Parts: sequence; C-alpha cells; structure tokens
Amino acid sequence: MAHLTGVAVTPFGKHPGRGPVDLMEEAALSALADAGLPREAVDGLVSGYATTYPHLMMGTVMAERLAIRPRHAHQAQVGGATGAVGIILARHLIAAGACRHVLVVGGENRLTGQSRDDAVKTLAGVGHPVHEVPLGASIPAYYALVAARHLHETGASEADLAELAVLMRRHAAAHPGAQLTKPITVADVMASKPIATPLKFLDCCPISDGAAAVIVSAEPLQGAAIRIAGWGEAHTHQHVSEMPDDLGLGAKLAAAQAFDTAGRSAADMRLLGLYDSFTATLAVFLEALGFAAPGRAGPAAHDGRFSREGRYPLNLHGGLMSYGHPGVAGFLAHVVEVVRQMRGEAGERQVADAPLAYCHADGGVFSSHAGFVLERTA
Amino acid sequence: MSGVAIQSCGACGRSWQFRRAACPACGSSSVAEAEAGGGGTVWSVTTVLRAPLPELDVPGGYGIALVTLDEGPRIMCRAEAGISIGDRVRVALGEDGLPRASRA
Repeated sequence: MAHLTGVAVTPFGKHPGRGPVDLMEEAALSALADAGLPREAVDGLVSGYATTYPHLMMGTVMAERLAIRPRHAHQAQVGGATGAVGIILARHLIAAGACRHVLVVGGENRLTGQSRDDAVKTLAGVGHPVHEVPLGASIPAYYALVAARHLHETGASEADLAELAVLMRRHAAAHPGAQLTKPITVADVMASKPIATPLKFLDCCPISDGAAAVIVSAEPLQGAAIRIAGWGEAHTHQHVSEMPDDLGLGAKLAAAQAFDTAGRSAADMRLLGLYDSFTATLAVFLEALGFAAPGRAGPAAHDGRFSREGRYPLNLHGGLMSYGHPGVAGFLAHVVEVVRQMRGEAGERQVADAPLAYCHADGGVFSSHAGFVLERTA
Repeated sequence: MSGVAIQSCGACGRSWQFRRAACPACGSSSVAEAEAGGGGTVWSVTTVLRAPLPELDVPGGYGIALVTLDEGPRIMCRAEAGISIGDRVRVALGEDGLPRASRA
C-alpha cells in the first residue's frame, strides 16, 4: 500500500547561480520535512536528469548530496513522464518489499543554466537523429504536427486551444511560486508570435528553473493518508513519425490500466493533474480520457469545467504553461499541488473536496505515458 | 522513384521507414530494402517560425510535414509552402539529401 507522504516544490522561474543538484537538494529536504521523515529513513531514490548537467548517475549524486545510503537508487529518463514513472516505480518497489520510503526528485536550472538556443536544441534531440532532427524540427514542431492533426480531426479551432492557456494563467495567479501570473486573454494568445503553426508563443510552456520532490512510503505518515490506488503506463512509440493514428491511444491505454487497477472510473475523479507542455497536449489528454468531448476541451474550459469550482478542477497551480517547466520537476509540481489539495492545504486555491484525483504525464511526443489514481483514505 | 529508402517485409508485405532487423507488424526477419515510389498524402503539416538552431531560421519559416506514403509508412519531410492536410504530394530527396513534399 504505497502512500504519498511528503511533497515539496520550489518557486519556478529564475534561480541564478543554483545548479540542478542544489535545487533538487532543496526540494528533497523540504519533502522530508513535510513527511516528518528523517533522511536516513529514505531507502529508495529515483532521481530525474538535468539537461544542464548531463551526468550519468544523478541517482547516486543525489544520494551523496543528501548523505543517504539507499538500497536502491538510479536516474530515470522518460522525458516529461519521468516523475510519473518514478512515482509508479516507487509504488512497485514498495509492493515488492524492496523499499519503505522512496524519494522521487527532479530539478534543474534549465532557464539560467544555458542559453535558450541550447535548451531548444537539446530538447529537439528527442527526434529521430536521421529522419527528423536534420529537417529542422523542434519540440514545438513535433507537437504542432499533432496539434494540427487534432484540429483537423475534431474541428476545434486555435481559439479553442487558447482557452486552456488562459485557464492555466488564471490558476497560476493564485500561486505565489508561479513563474507567469500576468492575466492573458484568448486574444492575447491568438496575437502572440507564431512558433510552429498552429502553436503560438502562448500555446507553449516556458523554460524554467526549479525543483520538486515527492516521497512515496509503505504507510501513511503525518497528515492525510493519500494512497496510490491505481497506476498505468503505455509506451506506444518514440518518434512522432511512428505515432499511432489515434492521437490519444497512449493516454487511453495508460489511463484505462490506472482506473482498472484502482477500481474507479474517470467520472469518479474530483481533481486532475495533467501534463500541459502545450495547449494541444492538454486538449488531447482531456478528450482522450473522457473529461471533454472530442474537440471540446477549450469550450469546456471556457464554461468552467476545469476551474476550482468546476466538475474537474485541473492544474490549480497553473501547470507547466504558467507555473513553469524545468524538466522533470514540471510534472512533479502537478503532483505536489494535487496532494496539497487532497490534504486541504491549498489555501485560497483550495477545492471544496477532492478524495480522488488522477495524474497523467507524457514524455517525448505523446510517446511515454504514465498515469495514477490517488485516493484519500483517512 | 523518390530516392526515399524504406524497408518492407517479405512475409506480410508491411513497409516502414526506420531501420529494423525484424518487421514491426509480424516479427519476420525477412526484411528487404526498398525505395518509395514518391506518392503520398499529407497527414499533418506545420510551418516552423522559430527554428531549433538560429542558422536555420528563414523569413516566413519553413514547412515540415508528416506524409503517409502510398506504401504505408508515415515519414517526415520538408514541405512546400501552402500544402494542407489531405493533399496529395510527391516526395523526393532534395539536393541537401532531405525528403521534400511538393504538390502532386
């Protein structure tokens, strides 16, 4: 019975002069304090990677920095899904009896630790080295190809996608740690600089510095008991060239497994933490998972379905789009927000009640999917 | 012909682009090199206005398409300006060795 017992996230934005290990250390120590756990109790560690510090053994780098000697430690690399896969893996380590307290941590100085051009170039490398990268494709271009196809198949408009950016910005305004808090409108998104059609500057998440950490334990500790009730993964392809015709297939497969293992359905959920690297990412997920009809994620957002008071409150910290995206910590921030909401610790962002939540991330270009159901049991 | 190299399975007839030792559909190791005929249909297309490398940036951007070849594989190409999803295109290698899609 794996539980999320400690969570922490730094503000996202600029942390000049601080490297990935510094940022991850801060988040890890904060998460330990949140759990009320002495550091020597950590016997499992899944660390993210950092584009600004491409070390081969970040797991042991972090164990050394934290002065812990876990029975299991490694560096996971599954792109944006790394944190989600790390949490699911922590659940498996606990279920196998291999570990009792697993620290999942990510962080880097992706914004101030390198030039923007270097960051964009590094990320473009998830493409195929022979058949995609030489064409001048970038991460926004890969996602733009999916976004254009999604709009073509569903009849949704660019303005519909823009609603999701507006919503994330509105949510971020209520979080002091968010990188982007200036309110925006659909017109602002539509007027922002085109990056790769149909995606414009405000359809894309920013690049950030920051870190986040989650502790997964064999039993609840102090505070509310938040159990990992179900989990699922799907890895349908790596490169967008070989993406399945069904744009939502990977998301559907992972979510179906997560809901099945939890004995729950999407309709049971009262809170969502969904990866939102681009507006189109969020639209594909919301529609594939049944939280909006095909092509209707934007209008549903406009009508309040994903707001704090709505049927499916979504990314109440502002998501990658506005809280920020420093890599592996990006999705871990979604999990931190979901746990704080489930505990009733979200202050002015607090939803009425969220005993059940679903979290989902993708890595690559809708390539690797990992989702899990969280349930508050006490 | 197009100059675009693909592979095909001698057992089930499936074709694909990325090099493999075994067919992704049936697992047969009866894999043969082939050349795409060049005909295809645009599955998706984008105009890139912010290139991953500054030296690639051109005024007005450049097109990248995913084209479903008549043989079956979906491949990434540079795209002629103005083509849309569903358009019939011809794919051929350009002087720079990159596959390019232009209106059929």
